[in-house]
Order: sequence, then structure tokens, then C-alpha cells
Amino acid sequence: MKVQPERKENCLKVRWKKAFQIALLTLSLTIFIFAVLSISRRLEAKNQSGQAEVIKLRAVEKKEWSGSQLSPLHRIPLNDELNQKIVPAAPDGLPFSSRYSCEPCHSYSALSQGTHFNLKQRPAVDRRAEPWFLVDDKTGVQLPVSFQKYPGFWSPEQLGLSDWKFVTLFGRHLSGGGPGEPQDEFQTPDSRWTVSGKLEINCLGCHHRSPLQDHSEWVKQVMRENFRWAATAASGLGEVVGMASRLPSTWTVADGPNPDDHEWAVVPQVKYNLNLFDSKNNALLDLSRPENERCLACHSISPRKANSRAELERDVHLAAGLRCVDCHRNDLSHEMVRGFEGERLARSSLKSYDYTCAGCHLGQKPEKGGFGWTGKLGAPRPAHKGIPKVHFERLSCTVCHSGLLPEKEPQEVYTARANRLGIFGKAIWTSEYPLLYEPVYVREADRKIYPERIMWPAFWAEKKGKELIPLDSEEVFRVAPEAFSLKQEVAALLNALLPLREGDFYPAACISEFLFEPDANGGLKVRPLRKAVFSGKEARRQVLLVQVRDSEVKPLLPVFDPEEAPPEIEEKIQRTLESLKPLAGGRQPVFLINKYVYGIAEGYLEKKEKEGEPATEPALGFLEGEDFQPLLSSFQVRNLALLGDGPETLTEEQVELALKKISAASPEKEFAYIAGGFLFTLEKGGRLRASEHPAARAITWPLGHNVRPAQQALGKNGCTDCHSPGSKIFFGKVEAGSPLKTLHRESKLSSDLMKTGPLFQFLFGLTFLFRPAFKLVLAGCVLLMGLILLAVVLKLTGRTAGLSGEDSSPQGRS
Amino acid sequence: MFFGVASFLLIIAISLRITFGRYLNHLPEEKRQICLENFKSYLRWIAGWKFSFLKLSRWDRAIDYFIKWGKKNYSGWTVWLFYLMSLCYLYLALSGMFFAWFVPRGLFGFPLLLHVAAGALFAITLTVILFLKARYYLPERLKASSGLSSGPGFWCPLLKKSLPRTYIQAVAFWLFALTGFLLAASTLGSMLPYFNYPAQLFFFHIHRWSALVSVLSAILGLEAMIVE
Repeated sequence: MKVQPERKENCLKVRWKKAFQIALLTLSLTIFIFAVLSISRRLEAKNQSGQAEVIKLRAVEKKEWSGSQLSPLHRIPLNDELNQKIVPAAPDGLPFSSRYSCEPCHSYSALSQGTHFNLKQRPAVDRRAEPWFLVDDKTGVQLPVSFQKYPGFWSPEQLGLSDWKFVTLFGRHLSGGGPGEPQDEFQTPDSRWTVSGKLEINCLGCHHRSPLQDHSEWVKQVMRENFRWAATAASGLGEVVGMASRLPSTWTVADGPNPDDHEWAVVPQVKYNLNLFDSKNNALLDLSRPENERCLACHSISPRKANSRAELERDVHLAAGLRCVDCHRNDLSHEMVRGFEGERLARSSLKSYDYTCAGCHLGQKPEKGGFGWTGKLGAPRPAHKGIPKVHFERLSCTVCHSGLLPEKEPQEVYTARANRLGIFGKAIWTSEYPLLYEPVYVREADRKIYPERIMWPAFWAEKKGKELIPLDSEEVFRVAPEAFSLKQEVAALLNALLPLREGDFYPAACISEFLFEPDANGGLKVRPLRKAVFSGKEARRQVLLVQVRDSEVKPLLPVFDPEEAPPEIEEKIQRTLESLKPLAGGRQPVFLINKYVYGIAEGYLEKKEKEGEPATEPALGFLEGEDFQPLLSSFQVRNLALLGDGPETLTEEQVELALKKISAASPEKEFAYIAGGFLFTLEKGGRLRASEHPAARAITWPLGHNVRPAQQALGKNGCTDCHSPGSKIFFGKVEAGSPLKTLHRESKLSSDLMKTGPLFQFLFGLTFLFRPAFKLVLAGCVLLMGLILLAVVLKLTGRTAGLSGEDSSPQGRS
Repeated sequence: MFFGVASFLLIIAISLRITFGRYLNHLPEEKRQICLENFKSYLRWIAGWKFSFLKLSRWDRAIDYFIKWGKKNYSGWTVWLFYLMSLCYLYLALSGMFFAWFVPRGLFGFPLLLHVAAGALFAITLTVILFLKARYYLPERLKASSGLSSGPGFWCPLLKKSLPRTYIQAVAFWLFALTGFLLAASTLGSMLPYFNYPAQLFFFHIHRWSALVSVLSAILGLEAMIVE
């Protein structure tokens, strides 16, 4: 009875043992197969690469500085992009190439990683910088573009901007390199790099001290797509004629000039200034650390309300004799010190902290990595008397010391890169868009408050659920031209009438209380009239053509009796109608007055009786069959009157019309317009609806300049500079700037951006009304308490020294 | 950080010392000594409290007792000054210590606004109370009243004898007055436009360390003067 279970147990043990052995064998086999496969794969990969093992050695970086503080005169040979020495007197020479001219002494590849060039792969971008702005004022687009990814910033990839497109749009203020020198795999079919050449780093753009260095010339050449010629022309080393933009896309440098075309598709050619070369064909270049003017070409800022340069204040550091590069330094890596606290430099050998505000003015203790000395570059040590320490923990230095002084609302400003400042020529280059404002005070992720510039994006987009995909503004304009071309049509009309100018009087149009005049760019400028030409309900529907000289305005066609029309007026009518012919588009230009119609038949003025009712007002227009069409439609006149001389370019009616047109072209998609912090879409009934959307939110970026002196810093006049119930700092109204004239605009208080809470700031500000009294009371309390304590101390001292009390008695002494 | 840890430990330490002293006072005089046995039984005694101090009825009784004590020691309108000072001080200590311990940013926002307002009231009431009561804690008075101690003394295990209660009361009173003075002076100094940033830092540190000593002296004063 007892044997059977033992047997069973033994059998079970044997089975388990066998199962364990099988499992162990399987596992070993699997490991063996895996190991063999892995080793064979590695060996195969090594054979395929055919490379020996890389020996990782790292030498100490080469020091290129000689130790001298002098900037030598550069008497150097210039090489072209084929690395051939330039002979300035030779005909049909190529422009110089900075890559091949500077490379012998300075590593082009090292400096091409610098801040100004390496836009696409900048290694350490610690805080937002001013983005580029894609602007189209016709369609009301102002869109921030940046290679750096921050909320609200659109990358060129998202907008479908190739390197070529990016450079043609923004090359005016690029320093070359980066997107200007794309590798072959990044070249897109729309590009013309073989014709234009690469936009190499323009070393002379910053370092050339010659008075011939001209940023406007750089812009001109970039706009002509003369990329390889731009640096040569801008430096003044040579004159460049011709336009690569007009050449066929098959043209290459090897093709040379076209002897048959000297007027239109002229091949760019450079004619060197021989005075700037020596007898050995070496160029004489005065190169040094960049002058302020070179920096300001791309980095200047001015308030829009300033009427002249004389009104502007200078940065206190420049006024003190410093140069931009004294603080914004770089070594050969060309990684610029931006100068904010916490900046990380990836390649530079410089310690960024030393060049912050605190680095120069307060110094950094040696145990924290600084030199321990203050007063770098002669910086005075700030006293900051009476300012509680929380201000230094929660505010950046720039809050009190930089940017425009705060007003009730942030001020509109121009910046060089956004609004195309610093480009001079016959045309007016400064663009009104984007609309940028400063200062607003924003609490950043480090919980510190910074003064910043702000703008609200505006763009057309396809709406896919919650996602917005920006539309190409050219495509939007193509689909709905009538919605956008109001001012262009008035400009075209006035330009067509220009031959009618009489002396200093030139044609203009009065709409509502505004005067629309042609400007130098073929566009339109608007100014208000002192007195409206029309009044009553009709005011916004009528247009009157006039002649203008300064502030003097007279009708283009004076009032006359058509029954007895004077010959000189009839001649003027004839000239006017002839001027309108280019705009007629197959229609007949006519002038209606009472029961008569003036037109042109076979080159002569024809006066006919009008069919139907007589005209209530004299009117110019076009006759299509029997249908009279005024020069400007009621839609155009109504919206132009609404826009007036304001900064906006669109009305809600225009947006509504454009959205309808775009939706009609692609009925399966949903479209929207974003402006002023709102998303505008069409309701089912076809009316415009405004709603909030994350993509419509404002973007901001910190500002650093202009730095104001201590005497103009906030707080100089006491705490109430900022802390009062009506404080401009906390209760300034920040209202969205937008190309759209609408009541739907994002509006905030400054304290909202600071995330400090307006109620708290109001109450806190209120306490400052009582602070003087509070201080007096506190001082009284401190004085009384101090006296009592002093009395007690004196008493104790007296007793201890035996000067008072029982111990001072003669018995005590004995 | 240092302040946070130091203040926390000091407050705990003085509270333990006071309760330990109170425990020792319950013991016969021959058993009043610092030894492991006593410490163990003290811990058992403390553990026996459990969360009884969270009971609302206890707080009610404590407040009633406090109000009675105020009426007994302050005559007429001056009792209201005492109550006001106590209330302000309670808020000042709680808000100051809470933010110092748990909020790295320090005191801010509405609690700061209230702190400033309560601070002003505290400074005024403290000044008046100092005027009214300072005379009772002068050295000659102490000597006179030391024999007539109004309760059991403080058992000092090192000296192996009870210290007169009035001495402890005087120490607590003058420490409280001195730190109150320093608190008001540092507040005033940081608001005047005469002192630079290092001075501001100095005032800040004076303020927070004075506050700590003030809290310690208040605890001591509460034990020596008010609680029977």
C-alpha cells in the first residue's frame, strides 16, 4: 500500500528532471542561434561599410588668435566661387566669394555655425527672439515665421516655404549662409540657385568699415536674385548691373553674358573699383569689429509716433561710448552672446554670464564662476536704494531699464527686420505691417517678468477640426480678388488719371471724410479731410474725383451747365474719358450729367441725351450696353469709407466675401481668417462669426533695447511709478492690433500678462496711497519702542555699574 | 532652506522642552531629573494626548481661558488692545512661518497684503502695551516678586532647582518686545529710500530671524504668563 505512492513520486521526479533538461537545452540552443546571428550581422555590416574602425581622438582646439588686439588691414587676394583669384581689371569677372576669400585664414565652416547664419540648426536657443514675418497687406496677413519652435511661431516647413522662398522673402535682412546656402538635397523645384548663386555669408556686411558698405545695395541685389553678386555690390568693391531674376532658369555662370540683350534679361556683371585693389590685385579691406551702424541695419527699432530721427532716444550704452559688440560678443564660432541671464552658449569660449546686465554692473562671485569684479566696461554699480529684494528676484533688469516707457497702452513700433527699415531708395520700403507693440510685461516660465514686444497673427487658413493650416496669401487673392483689391483699384484709377495733372495739382479721390491720393510706389495714401465733401446717409456711398495741391482740393470736373458747356470743360471731359480707357476692359467710359451722357466716338467727344431718368449727380463711369457702372462699386466705396485712414486693410464685409469665395472654390473644406486674437468663420447663414482659437493668440518675445539710464528707469520717482491704483504698468490696456477693422479684438490688462491678478495689484497699489502715513506711524512706534528698550538697557547698565539703585548707596560701596 | 529647517527644529524643540518641563513638574522633586526612564514616560504621556488638541471643545475652552486671562490682566479698553495684538500676531506668525516653510517664493499676494496691514496694527498695539506693561518686568520688580511666584517655577535639571516663574516671564516679555522692535524697524528700513540692495538683504534677514525669536519668546511667554 505504501510502495505505490513512492513509485509514483519517483516517476514524477524523473519526468520533471527530463522536462527541465529539455527546457535547458532549448534555451541554450536559442541563445546560441541568437549569438551566431548577431555576430554574423555585425560582421556583414562591417564588410559592407568597408571602413576601418574610427579612432576617436580629440585634439585641443586650434587657437586662431595671434594675441594682438589690432585689427590688421586686410590686403588680401579675393577669390571667386570657383576658387580662382579675382583680377579686377579682367572683363566678365565673377564676384568675390567670401567662402573662398576668407577661408585661407578663417574657418568658414566654423563660423557658418554662428548665430546669424545657422538659423536652421541653432543648437541652443534659450529664449524667443524676434521671428520673421510673412506679410501681405492686401490680404491682411502677418504671420510669425521662425526656424525655432515656440508656441505661435510657424516654421517655414509648416508654411511650405522652401529655402529659396525664405531667402527671396527675407534675404534683405539675412547675413547670408544657412538657408542661403542649402545643400543639394534641400533644393526644391521652385528654386533658381544655379542662376542666382548661393547667398554666402556676407562677412563684409558686418566687418567692413568702409563708408562704401551699403545695406540698401545688398537688399537691391537680393531682390534681383543676384545672390552671388550681392556681397560684392554691397561692399562697394564693384558695381553690379543686371538681374538674375530675369534670366531663364537654365542659365549658369558658365554661359556668361548675353550679347543680344542689353536691356531686359541682362546678365549680372561686376565692374570692380580698381582704386580698392593694389598692383598685385590684392583688395584693400578695412575690416574690424562691427560698427554700430552695421548692427543697426537689421536691429534698429523706432516708435511709430516719432516724426523724425531727432525725436529718438539713444541707448544709454551707445551714448556712453560702448559699441553693440562690447556686450554682444563672439569668438570665431560667431555664436553671439545675447546677454540675458541663463543663456547657454554651445560653441563659444565666452562665459555668457559676464556679459549680462548683472555681469557688468554687479559682477559674479568667483565661487559661482565669475571674476568677482564689478564695473566691467566702466559699468557703475547700481544702488537700487529702497527697492525691496523681491523686485530683483521677480523682475528682469530690463523691466525698469529697457524699451519705451510704458503708457496707457503699448506703443506701436517699427523694427528693422519686421518692417523693412534701413532700406533707402526712391520707393518707400518701410511696411506698415506687421503691427508690433511694446512694451508689454510678461511672466515667463522662469516666473520672472520681462518687457516684451507683442503681435497678433493674422492669416487665412483651412480649418481641419481644431487644426489650422495657413493658406498661401497669393492663392487667397487669386480666388477672391474683388474682396481685396479696393485700394489697388483706386490707385489704378488715380494713376490712370495722372496725365490730367495741372501744375502742382494732381488727381485724387474723396470718399466720405477721407482723401485718397496716389503715392510714389504706385499705391495709395489716405488722409482725413478737414471737412467732409458729402454729408448725410449718402456720405459713405459716393466718390468724388478731385485735384489736390497740398491741402488745397478742387473738383476734377467743375460744375457746369451741360446745356451750355464751355469748350475747355468739354476738352477736359474728353481727356478724362480717354484716360479711363485702359481701365474700361471693353466698356465705354462715360460722363453722366443731368440728362446727358458724354462719351468718345471715333476719337471725338460725343454728347448724347441719356435714356430714362436724368442723373441726380454728375458721375463718371462705364457703359456696358445700356447699363451704367460707376468707377467704383458701392461695395468698394462703402468699405473704403469704413477703412478710411486707419491702419487696417480689411473690413468684416471683405472677409465675409473672401471666405464665401474661397469656400465656393472648395466647398468640401472649411476656411477661416484669423486676426486680432479671434478666429473668423462663416456661419450656416453666411454671416461672419468670431470665436477664440489658440492659433489666434498673441505672440511675444523679450526686448533688450533701448536701455534707459538710471534716471529714466521705472521706480526712479518712487514706488508709485508702478504701484498705484491707476498704474500704467499693471492696468495698461493691451488691445490687439489687426489688419481687420472689427470690434472683435482681444483686449487684456497688462497684469493679465504678468499673471499677477488685477484685483491684487489694485489693492496693493491702493496701499501706496497710505504708505507715507504708514511709514510715519511705524517710525513713531519704532522710536517709542526703541526709547523704552533703551531706558531699560540704561537702567540695567546703571545697576550693573552701580550708578543707580540700592547698590549705589555708600553701604553698598563699602 | 536653512532658516526653514532651523526655525522648524527650534519651535519643535522649545515646545518639547516646555511640555517636558511640565511633565517633570508633575513628578515628585526627587524624581525630577533627565534620564531615559523619565523621557520614556514623557513620550508615553505625550502619546496619550493623541489628537485631543484637535477637538473643537478644547479650543473653545482655550479661547475662553485666554479671554478671561486678558480681562484679568488688562483693565478697561486696554484689553481690546491686547486681543488685537494677539490676533494680529497670530496671523503674522502663521502666515510668515507657513510661507517660509512651504512656499519657496516667500510671502506674496493677498496674504502679504494682510501681513503688512496686520504688521502695522501689531506695531502700534505692541508699543502701547509696552508702555502699559514694561514697568512690571523691570529688574527691581522681578527681584521683589520672585519670592511671590504666581505658580510653580521652571524646573531646571541642570541647576537641579526650580527657576522663579517671573524670571522666565521677564525674559519672554523683553525678548518679545525687542524682537517686535526689530521687526518694525526692519520693515521700516526696507521701505525707506535710503538703503541699497545689501542693506535690503540685511533687513530681510533681520526680519525673519527676529520673527523666529519672537515666536519662540511668544511660546515661552504663553507658557510662563498665561497657561496655568
